[in-house]
Amino acid sequence: MITVGIDIGSITAKCVVLEDTRILGYKISRVKPNLEVTAKEILAETLSFVGLKREDVGRIVATGYGRNMVDFADKKITEISCHAAGACFLISNAGTVIDIGGQDSKVIAVENGKVLDFVMNDKCAAGTGRFIEVMAAALNLRIEDVGSLAVKATKKLKISSTCTVFAETEVVSYISSGEKVENIVAGVCDAIAGRIIAMANRVGIRREVVLTGGVAKNLGVKRAIEERLGFPVIVPEEPQIAGALGAAVLGQKA
Amino acid sequence: MKVGYLCTFTPKELIHSAGFLPYRVFATDRPINLASAYIQSYSCSQARGSLECALQDDFHAFVFTRCCDTLMRLTDIFEFAGKRVCNIEFPTKIGNVEYYVQELRDFIEVLREWGGEVNFERLMESLKLYRKLEEKLKQLFALSPDYETAIKVQQIEVRDAIKLVDEKIRTAKKEKEKPKVLITGSVCPYPKVYEIFREAGFSVKDDLCTGSRFFEYSYPDFEPVDLDSALKFIAEKYMNKSPCPTKHYEKDKRFEYVLKLAEDCDAVVFLLVKFCDPHFFDYPQLRARLEGMGKKVALIELEFPVVSFEQIRTRVEALREVI
Repeated sequence: MITVGIDIGSITAKCVVLEDTRILGYKISRVKPNLEVTAKEILAETLSFVGLKREDVGRIVATGYGRNMVDFADKKITEISCHAAGACFLISNAGTVIDIGGQDSKVIAVENGKVLDFVMNDKCAAGTGRFIEVMAAALNLRIEDVGSLAVKATKKLKISSTCTVFAETEVVSYISSGEKVENIVAGVCDAIAGRIIAMANRVGIRREVVLTGGVAKNLGVKRAIEERLGFPVIVPEEPQIAGALGAAVLGQKA
Repeated sequence: MKVGYLCTFTPKELIHSAGFLPYRVFATDRPINLASAYIQSYSCSQARGSLECALQDDFHAFVFTRCCDTLMRLTDIFEFAGKRVCNIEFPTKIGNVEYYVQELRDFIEVLREWGGEVNFERLMESLKLYRKLEEKLKQLFALSPDYETAIKVQQIEVRDAIKLVDEKIRTAKKEKEKPKVLITGSVCPYPKVYEIFREAGFSVKDDLCTGSRFFEYSYPDFEPVDLDSALKFIAEKYMNKSPCPTKHYEKDKRFEYVLKLAEDCDAVVFLLVKFCDPHFFDYPQLRARLEGMGKKVALIELEFPVVSFEQIRTRVEALREVI
């Protein structure tokens, strides 16, 4: 059966088309203010990309913070279950899924694809992609350059504020005291890692740890998390689609 | 005339018998503005929201009972803000009935100073009315917990409250068998939050001050014969109410109470107001005990006024999916 998973996040929408256990294709787009339109557009775009029509699709499952706005979906499942299912589809022996999205982050303890426990932060920008976005803006960097710059750092500057607004002040202060940009961004990545690991400790960290969400593409954050954990984490080839993929996977079972 | 109170341990029967309307003060939907001049933002939003309500609305006076540290000190802040306040020292260590009876005697004098009149007959009438309301609420919640009603009855005249609950009992339908969740915490005066649990497919029971802790009592088995024995009745009634984490009980009464409530539940949600110390201090141990019973447990933090209902929804739906 062909199933579609649509993940309407706070910043990006993701759509995955799955035939049984084979990913046929996916698309990622920016979310528009009208979430229903966003969902319709990304569905049309992805189906056209894989050469299918709406009637070829057996089931559509919506997830993400905008899932309840996707009226045409056959089912709506939370991003917790979907990220777990998606990560376990990609990495079958996953024990912990760390998802760092644009506006939220979550840590999910999983076993054989089933959620055991979870913790979420969706009230505060600390430990999310938004934190990097704000710091990148203060440093006049493109967000996609933050990770590659961070790994060139010779030292990690300490960002002690959890709050994004105060952390930005610290970053500005480092700039004015002449610190190297790569050392500052290494500190920014480490601050996110610190916040995430604190959350992860609440559910317990079990290997393998899979990192998903847009921020997983940031090498600096990945490395900072690995340093704090003391072992490597696994980042799937396209970590941003884990939620949509999980929705499509759960659509196969629904 | 409204006399505001914050804690379910407040002897509302005495306030009512004195001719005032006991009115439970909660945080509202209004943003916290005026209160910020008197209280730090690291105090819980129930305390800040209640102060905001006190500063904006018309109250004759306020009654506090010794409960959490924040509410104890809120007494002083209310007084500093020019409010008429009485603080009743409810014993933190449950058991000393005689001490509390003396506190209640003193409280009667305060009520008289505030222009109220308390006598045995009036107090017995108020005791009967509130007992009737509490029993009816128990009946309603046994059919289908109705938090909107449970919250509303704390802010209207008890006779009207009884009529309202009667009406609700008449139309309430017994809930169908569904996965059951126990919600434990202090207060949540936003009925929409409870609806989220229902919409996610749960049937709900609670250990909350805005739910069953308002009406779960073990009543003393004697009939008061005079004002003093009526005060003893009140003291024993409140010392034997559903336990609260701000009090010290013999043995492990508070935990045992929650664990017993959780027995027939599939999941337990700690619905905790941010910075609510008494509940948060209990949380790690209580969570471990509940998990030891095989219950799925989740923590949802609240900040009043609640605006992020969808974030609560995601957590509740995810918990339902896990079950």
